[in-house]
Amino acid sequence: MKPFAALVVGTLRQQLGGRRLLLLLLLGLVPAAVLGVLLADQQTAIAARQSFHEAPLVILFFVVLPVASLVFGSGALGDERRDATISFILLRPLPRAVVAAAKLLGAWLAAFGVVGAGAAAMAVVLGVRSGDWAPLGPLLLGAALSCLAYVSVFLVLGYLTARAVLVGLLYVFVWESGMTGAIPSLASVSLMRIGLSAYAGLVPIGRVYVEDILGVVQPGAGGAALKAAVVAIAAVGVMTLLLRHRDIA
Amino acid sequence: MTHSSAPSSVSPSSVSPSWVPQATVEVRAVSKWFGQKVAVSDLTCAFGPGITGLLGPNGAGKTTLLRLLVGLLSPSDGEVRVLGRDPRRNPEVYRSLALVPEEDAVYGFQTARQFAAYAAVLSGAGREAVERAIATVELADAADRPISGFSKGMRQRAKVAAALVTDAPILVLDEPLNGTDPVQRAHLITVFRRLAAEGRTVIVSSHVLAEVERMADRVLAIVDGKLAAAGDVAAIRRAMTDIPYRVRLEADEPRRLAAALLDTAAVDSVALAGRILTVETGDLAGLGAAVAPLARSLGLRLSLFEPEDLSLESVFRYLVRGR
Repeated sequence: MKPFAALVVGTLRQQLGGRRLLLLLLLGLVPAAVLGVLLADQQTAIAARQSFHEAPLVILFFVVLPVASLVFGSGALGDERRDATISFILLRPLPRAVVAAAKLLGAWLAAFGVVGAGAAAMAVVLGVRSGDWAPLGPLLLGAALSCLAYVSVFLVLGYLTARAVLVGLLYVFVWESGMTGAIPSLASVSLMRIGLSAYAGLVPIGRVYVEDILGVVQPGAGGAALKAAVVAIAAVGVMTLLLRHRDIA
Repeated sequence: MTHSSAPSSVSPSSVSPSWVPQATVEVRAVSKWFGQKVAVSDLTCAFGPGITGLLGPNGAGKTTLLRLLVGLLSPSDGEVRVLGRDPRRNPEVYRSLALVPEEDAVYGFQTARQFAAYAAVLSGAGREAVERAIATVELADAADRPISGFSKGMRQRAKVAAALVTDAPILVLDEPLNGTDPVQRAHLITVFRRLAAEGRTVIVSSHVLAEVERMADRVLAIVDGKLAAAGDVAAIRRAMTDIPYRVRLEADEPRRLAAALLDTAAVDSVALAGRILTVETGDLAGLGAAVAPLARSLGLRLSLFEPEDLSLESVFRYLVRGR
C-alpha cells in the first residue's frame, strides 16, 4: 500500500470507529424516515415529489450533511492533535501536501458515506412510492459536493482549535442557515448551496422546490463542482502551510 | 564536565564537552519560548553515534529540546541541523530520524503489528522490517491484540517497534522507559545499547538518573531550559558528592541547640524556623554521630532528625547554582 492510501485508510478507520458512526448513520436515516411518514397518505406522484423536497431535503442539507461533515472533517486532524498521534504521521518522509490531501479525502469519504447513505435511502423511498427515481443521482452528487466543501473547511478548523465542533455548529446554524438565507448577496459563499445548486441544475423540477426553500439559486452541476474543488484545493493549501510552519506543541 | 554551554559565536567543538566530533544532530544557540515562558535558553550541543542521555527534572525543557531536534517545533532563535539539514524544511530527514514520543501516541483501534506496519508504509519500509521490530521489542505474542488493551509498558514497546521499523540511524526517545516493569526496562536498555553499538545516534531523555546511568555513556543535564552540565555519567556522580546535605532537626530549645551545632566541625550552617532547625552539612554521618550526644549534654530533647530528600532536581539546582 502506498503512503497516501495508507493515510486515507487510517483516517477512515479512525473516524468510523465507535458509537459516533452508529449515531450519525441513524441521523442520516432521519430524512428517509420523515419522507416515509409523509408519503404514507400521499396518493399522487406530484404530491410525493413535493413532500420529498420539503422537510426531508431540508433535514438532509441543513442538519445531516453539515453535522456529519463537521464531525468527520474536524476530527481528521483534530483527533490526531488531541491524541498526540500527529507526530506519528508528520515525522515521515512525506510532503505535507500529501498528508493534508489524504486526510481530506479520508474525512470526505467518511462524511459522504453517512450522508450518501441517508440521501440514497431518501431517494429510494421516493422511487418505491412514486416510481420517480430521477432525484437519486443528482441528490448523491449534490450531497457529495457540499460534503467536500464542508469537510474542507472543517478540516482546517479542527486543526486550529479544540472547540471546532462548537465553532462549526455556530457557523452552520448562524451563517449557513441564517445569514446566507436572510441576505441574498451572501448566498454565493454558502457551502450548503453548492450541493443544492448542483441538484437544482440536474433536476429542473427540483429547482422550483429548492428556490421555495432557499430563494433564487444559481443552478448548475459544473459550476458547483468547480466551487467545491476550489474550496478543497484551498483547504489543502492552507493545511499544507499550517503543517509546515505551525509548531506541534 | 562543564557547567556552561559553548558560546554560539565560536566553534563549539573546540570549547565544550556539550559538543561531539562527527555530530549527526547539531543544536546551535537555540532558544524556544512560548509567550513569556522560556522553555529552552541559548542551548548549544551536539549528538553523535552512541547513547546520549538527556537528563533533567520534570519541566526542565527536555521534551521541548527533543521536539526541536525532530522538527515538531521551530526554534525562536538559533538553528537545529539533522545530518546537516533543517528538519522543518526537509521531510526527507525522516528517513534517517525516528521519534518515540513521551505521550501515548498510539491508535487504540490498531494492533501492535498494524501500528508498526502503518509506520513502515508511511516511511517506505518493508514488511520484513515490521516483523523484525516486533521481535526486537518482544511483542510477538501480543502483536495481534488491539493496543487499547495494552498496559503502559506494552504501549511503550509498541511505540519503540514503530520507531525501529524505519531502521533510522538517529533515534530520539522521550522517556521511553516510563511505565515499563523492571524486566521490560532491562530488555529495552539492552536494545538501545545494541542500537548504539551498531553506530546509531540514540538520544534518550529521562528524569531518573539511575536509568540514564545504565544506558548512556554521555549525559547532558538540563535545568530550567539551560545546559547545566555535560560529560560522562561518572562526572555527574562526582559532582553530586560535593553537594551539602540538609537535615531537619526539632528540639525543645532550638536556639540553644543551633548555637551548639555551629561550634561542631560537621555543620556548615544552621537556619531556624519555629522549632525546626535546618542544618547544612557535608558530613552527614559525622552530624548523625554528633547531634545526639550534643543534645544530651545540653539536656535537650531531640524529637526529629530527618535528612531532606536528595532529589535529582536538588542536584541539578545545585549544579546550576555553581555556573
